[in-house]
Amino acid sequence: MDIELTKEDLEFEAEVKAFLEENAYKDGDAEKWRMGWFEKAREKGGWDVPKWPVKFGGPGWTPNQHYVWQRATASASTPWDLPFGLSMLAPVLMAYGSEEQQERFLPDIRARKVNWCQGYSEPGAGSDLASLKTKAELSEDGTYYTVNGQKIWTTMAHIADWIFCLTRTSSDGIKQEGITFLLFPMKQDGVEIKPIITLGGSHTVNSVFFTDVKVPVENRVGEEGKGWTYAKGLLEHERSGIAGISNSIVALEGLKEKARGVKRGNGSLMDVPSFKSKIAALEVDLMAVEYTELRSLATASAGAAPGPESSILKLKGTEIQQRIQKLTMEAGGQFSAAWAGFNSGPDFARGGTGGYMNSRYYTIYGGASEVQKDIITKKVLGIKSSK
Amino acid sequence: MNFELTEEQQLIADSIERFVADNYDLESRTAIVAKGGFSEDYWKQMAELGWLGMPFSEEDGGFGGNQIDTMVMMEQFGKGLVLEPFLASVVLGAGALKRAGSAEQKAAWLPSVIDGTKQLALAYMEAESGDEPHNVTVSGTPTGDGFKINGIKCMVLHGGSADAFVVSFRTSGGTVDESGITLALIPADRDGITVHGYPTVDGLQSSEIKFDGVEVSQDDILGEVGEGFAALNAAINDGILAIAAEAVGAMEVLYKDTVAYTQEREQFDHPMSDFQVLQHRMVDMFVEYEQSKSMLFRATMEVASGGEDAQRNVHALKHLIGKAAFFVGENAVQTHGGMGVTEELRVGHYFKRLIVIEAQFGNTDYHLERFAA
Repeated sequence: MDIELTKEDLEFEAEVKAFLEENAYKDGDAEKWRMGWFEKAREKGGWDVPKWPVKFGGPGWTPNQHYVWQRATASASTPWDLPFGLSMLAPVLMAYGSEEQQERFLPDIRARKVNWCQGYSEPGAGSDLASLKTKAELSEDGTYYTVNGQKIWTTMAHIADWIFCLTRTSSDGIKQEGITFLLFPMKQDGVEIKPIITLGGSHTVNSVFFTDVKVPVENRVGEEGKGWTYAKGLLEHERSGIAGISNSIVALEGLKEKARGVKRGNGSLMDVPSFKSKIAALEVDLMAVEYTELRSLATASAGAAPGPESSILKLKGTEIQQRIQKLTMEAGGQFSAAWAGFNSGPDFARGGTGGYMNSRYYTIYGGASEVQKDIITKKVLGIKSSK
Repeated sequence: MNFELTEEQQLIADSIERFVADNYDLESRTAIVAKGGFSEDYWKQMAELGWLGMPFSEEDGGFGGNQIDTMVMMEQFGKGLVLEPFLASVVLGAGALKRAGSAEQKAAWLPSVIDGTKQLALAYMEAESGDEPHNVTVSGTPTGDGFKINGIKCMVLHGGSADAFVVSFRTSGGTVDESGITLALIPADRDGITVHGYPTVDGLQSSEIKFDGVEVSQDDILGEVGEGFAALNAAINDGILAIAAEAVGAMEVLYKDTVAYTQEREQFDHPMSDFQVLQHRMVDMFVEYEQSKSMLFRATMEVASGGEDAQRNVHALKHLIGKAAFFVGENAVQTHGGMGVTEELRVGHYFKRLIVIEAQFGNTDYHLERFAA
């Protein structure tokens, strides 16, 4: 056991920090900067796709290097990025896609040219995802599927170019069988998107309706009816991503800074014992979960797929994000209730309640906390039935 | 020992329950919020039904009710997330006036508060006052006949539609002294007053009010100069009791909606209510709701009877309600899944109101600290 950064790690850290500083956004066209940033990261030797295997252009970092990168990027100015193509679909294509599919889709994902969204949940299939009903029917000549049905909670569907979608191709046998993994464009007739406004007042999720959408068989990943197996692996990648540990570490420091700016008596909110002890307890949990993530990172780098520990990360990571949002709202006091407009409260307070309300979603999406606990019950504790 | 409502209280509870059932489904409420504020029609109806006169003595033109009557009403309002400014005008603004005002001052304002033609608002909070109502920096500088007021009051409930403000300002003492705080009743159109109204996340309206050399005379001062804190604090205590009752009404809706939803929705080939982990969670929500109700009864009766331990009971209530509100709200949303986080179901709206209530008049931690002090 040893987590000391070596001399090489420290040199790497300095190199990463220099890169991030040199390429931070300064002014001008933000999208041009964004594309340029990924190009430069690519030139560094796969820094644009840190988690991809070397075979597909990734940097082949050690766990320590991944750790250094995560910490450094969390607090730096880096361009926006979506996880759907990069971190969720790409590993599935690498493991189960045909060579032709890999060549067709991975370069555009890597270049951030194509935005993907994830067609998983349905109105009747939430925690019980495998009960999904969106139907894909193979044509008589076996050349295309016709897709009909509805997806819900589709994040960023309104800006997505393509969707990876779980569909039902058979209702025989147990429901996990008969699910097929299809890829198709979003901007076509038969795909209708309706925004869902969340309680924080924002639009990130959508309902998506499919009416007779034709999907060529070459857009099917792997075998018909095996989609559930591919999707499960993908959910493990999603969970690790949702945990957002590095971002929480940065966010907690930001929260302390905010609280220090809120006057209480002769000091600040950070001098109020009850508030301070909640911050401290949060920090302790975050310190532990940071190491849970490192342990999982080490497992993954040793070549193993992310396993049940990704469920622990998702459970604790999202709970911590919610606590940060709650304490931020609390630090804003009554001013957090103001949507916008004129008031003398702290700047960060405005919309604070919205941030907290939206954070309630973290323990619901990507497999609700209850589902994570079921997974741990079965896979880790070895208990078979969990009704 | 008797926890039964009187016949009058039961009548008014039933009548508000009907009003809420007829007028406050989510869609109707959302329409009122979108128009920005509350319904003038509903406000008029409330006045005509005599609701606005409930907590005033008969000499003041009211029905001689007390905090227990307000509790009965607010619990029902909480079940519908009613938007009309009953709390702002009747409980807070007029609550301070009825305690500190002279017979003339009360005669000038209370009848129009009770008939709904005029609204009052209580302007006591400031940018850096935190949760402390005695933390006052808005200043009153003596003039010949009265004071010149300077400073900013924040988060003034329904300040944008108020005809006059009961304002706390400092005429002597240090920033956090209870003595040296003076109250005045100032018409909203007086020179030097600027009001910025804005909506809050719970669909209600708040405001920030700037006083720039606003002149007040002896006629405007409520009670004795420098002795305003007692009336201010009593009005705030009434406010705490009122929003705690509202929270109890909202929590009842949340736990019942959750139970109903889990019985309707199936996952894994079972109604969700078959899962023990959810059953026990809903039992916990129910227990929190019942505990809140007990503490509400206790504190309200203690205050209404002028008990020695009244203030401590109010602190205990606000602490307990805040904790329960988050527990019930978070679990209602979680159990409703993604739908719970949308504008489409009512659970999220009830939770938003509970979140605001938790922070109002001092949050959960603040009141525990005061309770322990």
